[in-house]
Amino acid sequence: MPGDALLSVRGLTVAFNGVAAVSDLDLDVMPGEILGLTGDSGAGKSTLGLALLGLTRPPGRILRGRAVLEGTDLLALPEAARRRLRGRRIGLIVQSPRGALSPLHTIGAQIGGVLRAHLPLSRPEAAARSVGLLRRLGLNDPERRAGAYPHEISGGMAQRVLIAMAVGAGPRLLVADEPTSGLDVTIQAAFLDELAATARAAGSAVLLMTQDLGIIANYCDRVAVMQGGRIVAEGATRAFFAAPADDYSRTLLSLRQAAPPPAPAEAAPLLRVTGLCKRFRLRGSGKTLQAVNRVDLAIARGETLGLVGESGSGKTTVGRLLLRLLEPDGGEILFEGRDLARLPPGELRRTRRRVQIVFQDPQDALDPRWTAAEILGEALERRDPARVAELLALVGLEPGDAARRPRGLSAGAQQRLSIARAIAADPALIVLDEPTSALTPLARVGIVRLLRDIQARLGTSYLFISHDLNTVEQLSHRVAVMYLGQIVEQGTREQVFRAPRHPYARALLAAHLAPDPSRRRLDRPPAAALEGEIPSPVDLPRGCYLAGRCPEARPDCRSTPQRLLGLPDGREIRCLPEAERAGVLPDPIPA
Amino acid sequence: MIGFVSRRLATALVQLVGLALVVFFAIRLLPADPVARLVGLNASRDAYLTAQRSLGLDRPVAEQFGSYLGVLPGSSGLLQGDFGRSWVTGDPVAQEIGRVLPITLELITVSFVLAFLVSVPLGMICAIRPGGAADRATFAYSLFAGSQPEFWWGLLFIFVFFAELGWAPAPLGRLDPMSTPPAVVTGFITVDSLLAGNMAAFRDGVHHLMLPVLTKVFVLSGPIVKMVRQNMVRVMASDYVLFAQASGLTPGRIARIALKNALAPALTLLGVLYGYILGGAVLIETVFSLGGIGSYAVRSVLAFDYPAIQAVVLVIAAVSLLVYLVLDLLHAALDPRLVG
Repeated sequence: MPGDALLSVRGLTVAFNGVAAVSDLDLDVMPGEILGLTGDSGAGKSTLGLALLGLTRPPGRILRGRAVLEGTDLLALPEAARRRLRGRRIGLIVQSPRGALSPLHTIGAQIGGVLRAHLPLSRPEAAARSVGLLRRLGLNDPERRAGAYPHEISGGMAQRVLIAMAVGAGPRLLVADEPTSGLDVTIQAAFLDELAATARAAGSAVLLMTQDLGIIANYCDRVAVMQGGRIVAEGATRAFFAAPADDYSRTLLSLRQAAPPPAPAEAAPLLRVTGLCKRFRLRGSGKTLQAVNRVDLAIARGETLGLVGESGSGKTTVGRLLLRLLEPDGGEILFEGRDLARLPPGELRRTRRRVQIVFQDPQDALDPRWTAAEILGEALERRDPARVAELLALVGLEPGDAARRPRGLSAGAQQRLSIARAIAADPALIVLDEPTSALTPLARVGIVRLLRDIQARLGTSYLFISHDLNTVEQLSHRVAVMYLGQIVEQGTREQVFRAPRHPYARALLAAHLAPDPSRRRLDRPPAAALEGEIPSPVDLPRGCYLAGRCPEARPDCRSTPQRLLGLPDGREIRCLPEAERAGVLPDPIPA
Repeated sequence: MIGFVSRRLATALVQLVGLALVVFFAIRLLPADPVARLVGLNASRDAYLTAQRSLGLDRPVAEQFGSYLGVLPGSSGLLQGDFGRSWVTGDPVAQEIGRVLPITLELITVSFVLAFLVSVPLGMICAIRPGGAADRATFAYSLFAGSQPEFWWGLLFIFVFFAELGWAPAPLGRLDPMSTPPAVVTGFITVDSLLAGNMAAFRDGVHHLMLPVLTKVFVLSGPIVKMVRQNMVRVMASDYVLFAQASGLTPGRIARIALKNALAPALTLLGVLYGYILGGAVLIETVFSLGGIGSYAVRSVLAFDYPAIQAVVLVIAAVSLLVYLVLDLLHAALDPRLVG
């Protein structure tokens, strides 16, 4: 098989100050295939990718090995010759599309610069070709766009420009290093769709490096798993997901499909929020940003409500309003029979023991000068060493970790400490604000297990805020979807994940990349995608906020404010046409 | 763009008015008696009162302020562009400042431009290989140069280049006493001598500028190199530089892209540095006997020459604000994200 490989890497070793990040690695990429390369942080994926392009950054050094691309050993070439191959025979797609464009140079100049690096073109010829390329990408008014700066074009356009630049000179192999980390799910799916389609059309192979097994399952033909600088498993995608050959992938996939432990049925909810609102006044313009808009939600004892939505949907603000870390502008937060929104400060402080929060980045949330024992002791009423030890054991930390400071712990262990601090005061509800987003996939699995375990033992309720739909699916009993400060759909995990009804929830979940190759996005017919991008939450329309992007919008959607309507199956959606289809009769809107 | 400039100019004007107010009253709060200073301690009471009247210090403070601003009938003040007359020399302050300010501006502007030209390539070389030999050498230099005061470096350079090697002229002013100064047009000796076609004066002017500029550049380059290096390291680690490399752009072109991105944010800091150095110019002027605005300011303060002090503070502030504005405009021209 190595004979017909497009790229064949043999015995590649890259070391940083004598420590090997990639050691003796062998890998083949076949022509035209999308090969997924996965592995935990620090497995050496990025180091490998940069080494293939000869861009290893000091103090890293390629010690030995070959990387033969169509008969040429890239690593044996002198730098000047290798530079000529970069972009022409082997290209790179880096993280975040906008970050890959210099903010101080026009789009046209940047495309022209790449063209001129490979083709004998004069400046005006390159400029003319750039405009042509932008026209082919479907950008309207390409002459004007060529003179625009990256911040003046939309994120979607920046994506297309980036892909066009990377494949412009027709490279046979594209190396994509976490090309979508930090992007929202719908944008991520659009980017990967575009990348896969363009690569297929150009006949280029893609080496797609990502920690997200969902991306691998949905886009890759084959998978390779890297660990400690070596390939530990390799195989066709379907076979790989059916029976992962290595411990790392087995651990990650162990949570797949496993539903969270059922919540105890209880009539009276622990928390009931009605009509929660928060506005921020923008400095300078005098305009207001409606961050949270008439949010209603309820959480029962021992239940997890997953709150999902893309950046700027207001989910973090909801979490902070519940603890009154931000003051709500309106609404009611009924918790254990009292309205938190109206509690006087003294009583609020006492009630806060019962509602705790865990933040995204444990490094920011833990005092770096305190030891773990001091951090936990602070959260207790009395500094009781026995209780501290008990808490550490409960979150799976070693007794020896008590004397450590946060910097001496791994990110996963820091987040465990953060959770231990939250449960120290014996809360009834914990707001988990993206607690797994800053962690490696392996640490994420550990935290999900821990959260399930704590809930089973202590009966704690969670509000789990995340944009990572896989983790939400693993933890939540019920799920609420937010869009522009409003909840647009709320229902059980199965209802929202299996058959979402609100058009936005449908689009969001269509973009969800589950680690399951049986429903690959590449094979699915394109779902009802929404047009354009999320508008700014300033100057919102009077009617439905989605009307401008919704493929099923009716004329009355634009003028009628939408209310959350209960459907017969128990879920709630903020979409009148869809509710009518489900058999809900429109009732006259109260004046 | 025009809106931006006029807004900035209006803000600067408000700042200057506030400054004029504060300076005027603050110096009158000092426990000092400028009249006694002027007439001497042994002067008669009559002589004292006459002097006080002639300085206008017998009038109420509000009235003094009114005539300083030029709002009282028959008075000539700031509104008329008149800083008043120096109490020491009796000459118009504006005229005196017109004589001393160009000397300082010439020195520090030339030093600034040269330091920038030296530091940018140096910072880039350091940034290309952080921790490399060039980086370490530059770090040692900036620590060494910055840890000792500039008047000390000035003295050391005078010793080496004038006393020992004889390459530099005596540190006694802006021109050789034997050479004919060019007719004053701008006040900048180099510019005026070129305008007059007086090449002898030009060479002499540059020659005398050599050591003070060397001292300034030597001390100034440290922080600028550091700033350029820092920005450059950040830019070289960015995704767009990586993408440019992966697209096969030549190292030269990548360096140009990176430099623009590294320099744009550094411009604002240069403005701060310029204002700071303008305020501290007296040290270098004293060492090289250059009668610049720094020396003038110190002389005025020591003599309780109120009109001169007020004028010096306002002029230095105005120059600093103008430099900020120019650099901000340059920054906006480089970085389109700042406009609008």
